[in-house]
Amino acid sequence: MTDFVIETNQLCKSFASRPALRGLDLHVPVGSIYGFLGRNGAGKTTTIKTLMGLLRSNSGTAQVFGTPVVDADRSVEIRRRIGFVTEDKELYPYMTVEQLIRFTRPFFPKWRDDLERRYLQLFELPLQRKIPDLSKGMRSKLMLLLAISRGAELLILDEPTDGLDPAAIEDVLRELVTIAASSGTTIFFSSHQLAEVELIADHIGIIDQGRMVVAGSLDDMKTRYQRLQVVFANSVQLPSHWVEGVESVRQEGRVVSILASHNADAIVDQAQSLPGSEVERFPVTLKEIFLEHVRSN
Amino acid sequence: MLWHKAWLETRFRLLFTLFFMCLILTFQHGAATTPPGVHGIVRFSNPILVVMACSMLAGAGIATQPTLAVSKGTHGSTLFTLSLPVSRLRLLGVRAGIGWLEGAGVLGMYCCAFWFLSPTLRGIVTPADMFRYAVTLAGCASAIYCLSVLLATLLDDQWRVWGTMIGSGVYWWVSTHIPFPAFANIFRGMGEDSPLIAHTMPWNVIAFSAGLGIILFFTALKIAKAREY
Repeated sequence: MTDFVIETNQLCKSFASRPALRGLDLHVPVGSIYGFLGRNGAGKTTTIKTLMGLLRSNSGTAQVFGTPVVDADRSVEIRRRIGFVTEDKELYPYMTVEQLIRFTRPFFPKWRDDLERRYLQLFELPLQRKIPDLSKGMRSKLMLLLAISRGAELLILDEPTDGLDPAAIEDVLRELVTIAASSGTTIFFSSHQLAEVELIADHIGIIDQGRMVVAGSLDDMKTRYQRLQVVFANSVQLPSHWVEGVESVRQEGRVVSILASHNADAIVDQAQSLPGSEVERFPVTLKEIFLEHVRSN
Repeated sequence: MLWHKAWLETRFRLLFTLFFMCLILTFQHGAATTPPGVHGIVRFSNPILVVMACSMLAGAGIATQPTLAVSKGTHGSTLFTLSLPVSRLRLLGVRAGIGWLEGAGVLGMYCCAFWFLSPTLRGIVTPADMFRYAVTLAGCASAIYCLSVLLATLLDDQWRVWGTMIGSGVYWWVSTHIPFPAFANIFRGMGEDSPLIAHTMPWNVIAFSAGLGIILFFTALKIAKAREY
């Protein structure tokens, strides 16, 4: 058994002549809450659809539970173990909430009646209401209920909190953490909301232009990444070459801001060796890491 | 549960087809007073009902949204359906199966109503002949129905209906104007060679239609399997 629930290597996918994934390497550890970040059009949904067998890659490999997703027969077995929330949250317009739950339940032998009841109550979903009469937030909640109640080993959630109000987002995030902690379910979710990703994710992957630009444990990332502020007493004389680990250098007057992805001690030493400089270290938020990488790309 | 879902998706089409069937029966009621009238109905009006039923009831393949919308980047609930642990063969098979059953039901009801409402017909045709005729219609309809299933995997819903009608019309024209092997003449199988007129079952035509239907269905399946969403 591999240590990764999801594993892609050099995954490429193009639509006509437009490349959407350009050699994506993605490794989602078993039992993790993995936040998959990227700008609009970065390739998040394409990756998710490829993992679900809805799109076929042009080259590279993609495996879920150690099984290649290109195998149509085994893809059915993979989907039996996955809970999925789609980006558009579209469901059958001719069914009520109750009918949709009754429709979905028989496909999943490990369906959790206890979770179904819990989320029906928590999300206050009206059983007799037809899908078109639900707000976008309610449809999101219903999709989450249908995904979580499957008793899945892996939840793949494409913008799961889209359309939810702040209180509902709080509820959903708390429940996701509970599910991951109590049943060991791996949660792989894409989001634009960096604050909520930072709140619950233990692993992060940032995709930009179809490539993984940063990936790893969030704690590790926060330890490695540091912002160094160098204040010069007089004129600024920056070195032509920084030591390894400097991601970006920005200068405003006598103040220079350096983002270090690793090797911070050596960078501090180098900055302190500059004449008239004072160096301070600051922790870095996920937002800073994200913006730095997608902007520099 | 997929059968239930397919039923919910096609029930209004079935109602529309039944309504169309009633219109045809009303129209035929006056025309079927003489044996030539009955022959005319069997030759022309019944095949039209078959084509109409096949066009309407074939459903829309896997997608619950028109294919045209899919090409514009919206998938409706299709992504939810495809996230279920079900093969595309099963999805397409259930969808095509429920439509075929509904179509067969419509044709069966039509044959019963046709027999009961036409005293002339009751005088010259036994219930057993009428049952054989219903089986003939359903069998000969297989190819037309599967053409509609195939078009459902390629075309927007409304174009699929027109495509089936036009395709069937072209087939009818070719089979009446160009020397055509008898076993491949589906419309003749439903008309002159049907049990109501020839008093024998056109098994070779039924077998041809079923064979062609299987080929069209598996072509549709191949397209559905290859389709990306």
